[in-house]
Amino acid sequence: MNLIVFTKRVPATQEEELRITDEGKAVDLSKVPFKVNDWDNYSIEEAVRVVEKSGGAVTAVSVGDAESDEVLRRSIAMGAKDGFLIETGDVLHDPNARATLMQNFLKKENVPFDAIFTGVQSEDDQFGAVGGILAAKLGLPFVSMVIGIDAYESDHLIVRRELEGGLQERVKVMLPCVLSIQTGINEPRYVSIMGVRKASKVERKVFKAADYQENVVNKIEAVKWVYPPKKAGATILSGELDGMCKELLGILKEKGVYQ
Amino acid sequence: MSYVLVVAEVRRGIFEERNLDSIGLCTLLGKDAILLIPEGDYGINEQLVNGLVRVKTEETLFLNPLNMVNILEKIMAARGKPDMIVFTNSASGIELASYAAGYFNLPVITDVNGYDKERGIFFKSYYSDKIFGEFRPSGEGTFIITVRSGSFKENAAEKGSAPPAEAIEDVAANTARTFVEYVEEEKTDVDITKAEFLLSLGRGIGNKDEIPDYEELAGLLKAVISGSRPVIDKLWLPKARQVGTSGKTVKPKVYLAMGISGAFQHIAGMKDSSCIIAVNKDPEAPIFQYAHYGIIADIHKVRDALKGILKG
Repeated sequence: MNLIVFTKRVPATQEEELRITDEGKAVDLSKVPFKVNDWDNYSIEEAVRVVEKSGGAVTAVSVGDAESDEVLRRSIAMGAKDGFLIETGDVLHDPNARATLMQNFLKKENVPFDAIFTGVQSEDDQFGAVGGILAAKLGLPFVSMVIGIDAYESDHLIVRRELEGGLQERVKVMLPCVLSIQTGINEPRYVSIMGVRKASKVERKVFKAADYQENVVNKIEAVKWVYPPKKAGATILSGELDGMCKELLGILKEKGVYQ
Repeated sequence: MSYVLVVAEVRRGIFEERNLDSIGLCTLLGKDAILLIPEGDYGINEQLVNGLVRVKTEETLFLNPLNMVNILEKIMAARGKPDMIVFTNSASGIELASYAAGYFNLPVITDVNGYDKERGIFFKSYYSDKIFGEFRPSGEGTFIITVRSGSFKENAAEKGSAPPAEAIEDVAANTARTFVEYVEEEKTDVDITKAEFLLSLGRGIGNKDEIPDYEELAGLLKAVISGSRPVIDKLWLPKARQVGTSGKTVKPKVYLAMGISGAFQHIAGMKDSSCIIAVNKDPEAPIFQYAHYGIIADIHKVRDALKGILKG
């Protein structure tokens, strides 16, 4: 099977303090480290595992600025054959605009594929909509929240998708198709610095997003950034570590869970 | 007539409670809500909506995005285009919404958790819930929204009379994607939903080798170990220990969260705990907004200090 996997470089904001600047027009990410989107890491791994068994090749594609080459090198180090960058300086908040750009690229460059993998969502914008929009635009069947690929045949896949509360749904989907891959579907392989360095010797192709702009319009407008409204919040314990821990044990006693 | 189409999420005969958030958003917008639902006895309070459209189809066909677009096409042909189509922000809701957005070429804003009526602005979270983006559709016409559960259900109100209901016939089932079966989670000996005291571990523990030390702490405290999604994804703890929307919903007397930042999907699974205590080195971690008590510190140091005291 030939698989196309979209992968994105995102800011790792989990433990960072974020500041809104320019009267709500921007979020300062200048001091935030960047990394591969967690969901895309699982997608690449899953795609590589499929081709290791079934043959074919994985092509990693990233939409982003020149720095996004980093996630392509990483994909190649994990086992992708090619890395394509659709270079743009635009942030593309609108999933419709992003998916249309991807659709135009695939059509114009005639990249062959049996299936396209995207991550379920991107950590930065948390939209989770690009895979579904792209599938519909390409006229292909779509399955999201894929947590297992149970079987692959020449004309279809059997996949499991994750629902709520531990429940899963097994689905048959005809090829070609688009799948959105959920985290936890596999255990992504470790990528060493040496591996990435070696991968950087494989040529990555750069395409200009400007060449694929037909119908790429923002259907939604990002008006402003704001901080989430504060709730009452926690009573923060203070003092020395030992003192805080004793206070914590006191709370546990008071609540009746520890004697 | 102007209306909003609310696509019900039903699963195995249950009308999911988060549908009330979709209905509540319509009330907030001051729009008539027409509920789209497969035929069946879902025991819903019909007075919460202004109209019902029952689709003569099976639930699993209804929840299939490839069929849903055909159903939507039929409704729009009959009633005209809605101002908005609302879905739940769930595994199925987002799948249906995004596919419909691509199919009908419509604007979509997912995971909406607030609405400013005066400015016509929808709020959605960004960057690990640390920033909210204000969004609105760029032009006129129908747009699609998915609604974060718990955001608008208080706004849902009874209209005082049973609404008109209509039925649409089944649409031809698409064969490119078909439902096979449901797969239940394997039963295990530990049921975290029964525990009175959970020690819950998050990404902040850093690596798997730290787990035994936390297990020792749990043993000393007589707490049961649970975890957030990243810890389960990395196979540091088994799936049965997962707290959150895709795992278990828990309501222990005490929920002690260590190294959990508090992604929305996690919060949804533990916010009704009687007492939530969060330990995290990041003072901006969203979990402190939901916790009753917080300690801002390195979790390993807190763990070791607690063990020191407990061992006397």
